[in-house]
Amino acid sequence: MALIEARTPLAIESGSPASMVDHPMGVFARPTAYQKGWKSWITTVDHKRIGIMYGIGAMFFFIVGGSEALLIRAQLARPGQKVLSADLYNQVFTMHGVTMVFLVVMPMAAAFANYLLPLQIGARDVAFPRLNAFSFWCWLFGALFFNTSWFLGGGADGGWFNYAPNNGVLFSPSHGIDFYVFGLQIAGIASLVSAINLIVTVVNLRAPGMTWFKMPVFTWMALITQFLLLFALPVITVALFLLMFDRQFGSNFFNAANGGDPLLWQHLFWIFGHPEVYILVLPSFGIVSEIIPTFSRKPIFGYPFMVFSGIAIGFMGWGVWAHHMFASGLGPMSVTAFSLSTMFIAVPTGVKILNWLATMYGGRLRFTVAMKFAIGLVGLFTIGGLSGVTHAFAPADTQQTDTYYIVAHFHYVLFGGALMGLFAGMYFWWPKIFGHFLSEKIGNWHFWLMVIGMNLTFGPMHILGLQGMSRRIFTYSENEGFDFWNMVASVGAFILAVGMLLFMWNMVTSYRKHRRDPIDVGPDPWDARSLEWMIPSPAPEHNFDEIPVITELDEFWHRKYGHDEEGRPVRIAETLDVTQRGTAHPHLPSPSYWPVVLAAGLPFIGYGIIFQFWWAVLGGVVLLTGFMGWVIEPSTDPEAGHGDDQGHDDGDAHDGDAHDGDAAIGGSDAVGALVAGDAAAAAESSASTEETSGD
Amino acid sequence: MMTRCTRFRVLCFGGLLALMLLAAGCAATRDTKGRPLTTLNPRGVQAQKIDDLVTPVFAVAGVVFILINGAILFLIFRFRRRRDDVDGVNEPVQMHGNPRLEWAWTILPAIVLASLAVGNVKTLWSLEDRDADPLKVEVTGQQWWWEFRYDVDNDGKADIITPNQMVIPVGRQVAVSIRSNDVIHSFWIPALNGKKDAVPGRTHPWSLEADQPGIYEGQCTEFCGLSHGYMRMQVRALSVDDYNAWVAEQTKPAVDPAVSNIDATAGRATFKAQCAQCHQVNGFDETGKATDGTPNNDYRGDKHPLTSRNAPNLTHLMSRQRFAGNMFDLHLDGKTDGAVNESEVGAWLRNPSLKKPMAADQNRGMPNLGLTEEQIHNLVAYLSTLK
Repeated sequence: MALIEARTPLAIESGSPASMVDHPMGVFARPTAYQKGWKSWITTVDHKRIGIMYGIGAMFFFIVGGSEALLIRAQLARPGQKVLSADLYNQVFTMHGVTMVFLVVMPMAAAFANYLLPLQIGARDVAFPRLNAFSFWCWLFGALFFNTSWFLGGGADGGWFNYAPNNGVLFSPSHGIDFYVFGLQIAGIASLVSAINLIVTVVNLRAPGMTWFKMPVFTWMALITQFLLLFALPVITVALFLLMFDRQFGSNFFNAANGGDPLLWQHLFWIFGHPEVYILVLPSFGIVSEIIPTFSRKPIFGYPFMVFSGIAIGFMGWGVWAHHMFASGLGPMSVTAFSLSTMFIAVPTGVKILNWLATMYGGRLRFTVAMKFAIGLVGLFTIGGLSGVTHAFAPADTQQTDTYYIVAHFHYVLFGGALMGLFAGMYFWWPKIFGHFLSEKIGNWHFWLMVIGMNLTFGPMHILGLQGMSRRIFTYSENEGFDFWNMVASVGAFILAVGMLLFMWNMVTSYRKHRRDPIDVGPDPWDARSLEWMIPSPAPEHNFDEIPVITELDEFWHRKYGHDEEGRPVRIAETLDVTQRGTAHPHLPSPSYWPVVLAAGLPFIGYGIIFQFWWAVLGGVVLLTGFMGWVIEPSTDPEAGHGDDQGHDDGDAHDGDAHDGDAAIGGSDAVGALVAGDAAAAAESSASTEETSGD
Repeated sequence: MMTRCTRFRVLCFGGLLALMLLAAGCAATRDTKGRPLTTLNPRGVQAQKIDDLVTPVFAVAGVVFILINGAILFLIFRFRRRRDDVDGVNEPVQMHGNPRLEWAWTILPAIVLASLAVGNVKTLWSLEDRDADPLKVEVTGQQWWWEFRYDVDNDGKADIITPNQMVIPVGRQVAVSIRSNDVIHSFWIPALNGKKDAVPGRTHPWSLEADQPGIYEGQCTEFCGLSHGYMRMQVRALSVDDYNAWVAEQTKPAVDPAVSNIDATAGRATFKAQCAQCHQVNGFDETGKATDGTPNNDYRGDKHPLTSRNAPNLTHLMSRQRFAGNMFDLHLDGKTDGAVNESEVGAWLRNPSLKKPMAADQNRGMPNLGLTEEQIHNLVAYLSTLK
């Protein structure tokens, strides 16, 4: 057995009585690692399964948010439509926005980050596997909680931006906004915890030799995203807490009549909200930065510029929030400052676009569906970026803000940017994740319907906005000249819906075909570049048989290819000779019930505060039970075997741990191993252990 | 087969591009006909400054758009993998970057932006310019209508209080102070200037100046709850003489209907009993008692923010063209000063929430007063005398 990194086990592991481990708190028998069925998903701490669950959750809410979008477009297709009442329309566009941002794009990006970060840095899991599970359940319960508002008196109706004082009880007396407050708090815990988890993972668990500038670009972009989350979420949390006090306990943070300030909400919201835009789009930038080089058969052009422009966007993203408030009455001095900072954030973004183009230049481009979506991102995001520059000019923005021009702009950024990238990622990594391809034929249709539908839907909105159509109006009159382009946009929206249905169909038929007639896609179906393609597809539970020692950026590519004197690649090894077999059985963190129990307490606390106090007590009890169970449960079950059927071998139970569960970072040894050199040494020593203990 | 397929795809992409360009072209037409809210046809000093700033920006953005998407098309076409390409033979040169080139395309856009930024800052500050003697108008937003107050004699007390339609003289700067009584609204007359939010607890200065007489439409552009879509307003710019005549007319109290007009007289009684609770008509107070004929500046506590307990002043109702947040025609046949549109006004009185979504049970918007058909008829007769 390959024993890679020697770790000191936690004290509790050796000292805790066996009975306590088997039946923590005497409630549940501890789940074992290789259970099958739904239970194995509920209790899993495997970053790959958690990633898949994020993906499934996000797809579900994509259907919800997409249906809401179709309702909006049905209502606006013609002047004076009565598909939705004004009240319902306000709820639907609010829920659409919140759902798409927090319950679709963020978790979809989280799915990729969870699945890929450990694989791309050559790790066995994230730093805190149980916390990772907790993040997912927290997000899921927050998301479901938020959407139950539809059945409990109506959804939030203040817009996703939810400006004060319209978000107060006086102006929004239904419970919709309370669900917004608590739903986003709960989902926010998920993002915050997962941000810390992934940052620690990337900082500490990189494979030996993988220095910062040998990390794949996706890893970099995801890491920057996690830092943005780490600093942005506390800001929205503060805003939500203040709003909770205003709504639940009659405080006056946003009540101008009693000395509060409605603009305080706007500042807090956008200090979070603008970095949030980059949180949504940077992972997709990372994804296309993996796909374009792969299908151009060239390395990414200007890796340092790609990384530093990402970092620059991350930093500058904090200095532009008030460009959402150019009409709010900030005064010309602030407006000037924010207008200028906003103009110049276009520079690092432009660098990225040009570097992608330069990556394609001179390449040998293969137009797989993944590549098409990636190029689609470059083209469509450019439109969103350019319209963004036009309203960086504050005087122009006073004409454009809160019109459909802005709706067009951010849909080109978030649909044309974030979502195109995420779809590209799905087609690209699908074989790695599920062991079979998505159909390229249906994928083609999916891609073209998306591009055409998206341009038909959001392109005309530029025109509508410049013709003066306001956002968030539930209808318009026929004498305003908005009829034609609104009809076009609505037709486009339904084309998009057909595209999405095709994607669902693709998922189903590709899976069925695979079941009927399995084809081994092999570890490296695209002739790709980074570490995740070194291991079998689907990725085995332990990821790597042996943690690779890194000497190059695009390590895997360089194991396959050298280059001649002209700089053209020359194969030096067959792919299957440099990939791993996935046959090792290292000891992995054990599954646990406690993350899901702990997370399950939170929505009940929300219901309790909104409706009936006793629900909160129940939620509190569940929460505390979860805490207690978690605390006294060792992260790795000492009773568990290696997951193979050959039984348990005490001799290397602890030595075999990839990362000793949540304890990995706790011990000073683990932090010491941070230094790549140490890790390399550890790898070497473990290799020798393998020799001596092999029998 | 392959090339045909590729050509087809390039055609698709190119066609799409052409479509988008066409669309952009349509957008750029500066025709206001049938587009009363367009931002592309400035009719005032401020809007013109903004337009002058943004036109070159759109042009630069358009050029960059064509360059980037043209480059994508070129790369797709030129560097696609061809049928006779063999892996391992004549593979792409592994270019890792070109720092000089990359610095160039970092610095070059920065220089372009910096040069555009000069105009940006200049325009931004010039929009703050105020004339020595502007016309001052106080604008107040509330759910879901706008009110305008004019202090004609500069005594600190408004002499004209009027909803929905702001009347201004051409060629004179109007210094607007924008306030809100409840939630955040945004005041926007696209033909004259960009928008400015009305934020409770704050007063925001803003300016307008119309070049020529006409009616300029506006729409509240900050989401303000239920009837946000039905919160409209307009600016009517008049020649200086017409404006002075308008001021003279508006400062007069309401004239009682002739005694012979039985319906209107009965309507006035109903108005005093029911409507005056919220709606002011200069000349009597909320209990129906006669006053000096000047508007009460704090009718029903207008100045207490955060709940809409007040309602539009109806003294010169028929001098305007529309009612209820500038939504519905007051006059028949779309005329500006014809006979009263009894079906619209009657329907409104019968059940206002059917015409315009409101939350009267929460003190926001006009309640259904349960008027009889006779009362409605009489009220319309009375309202049509409020010229």
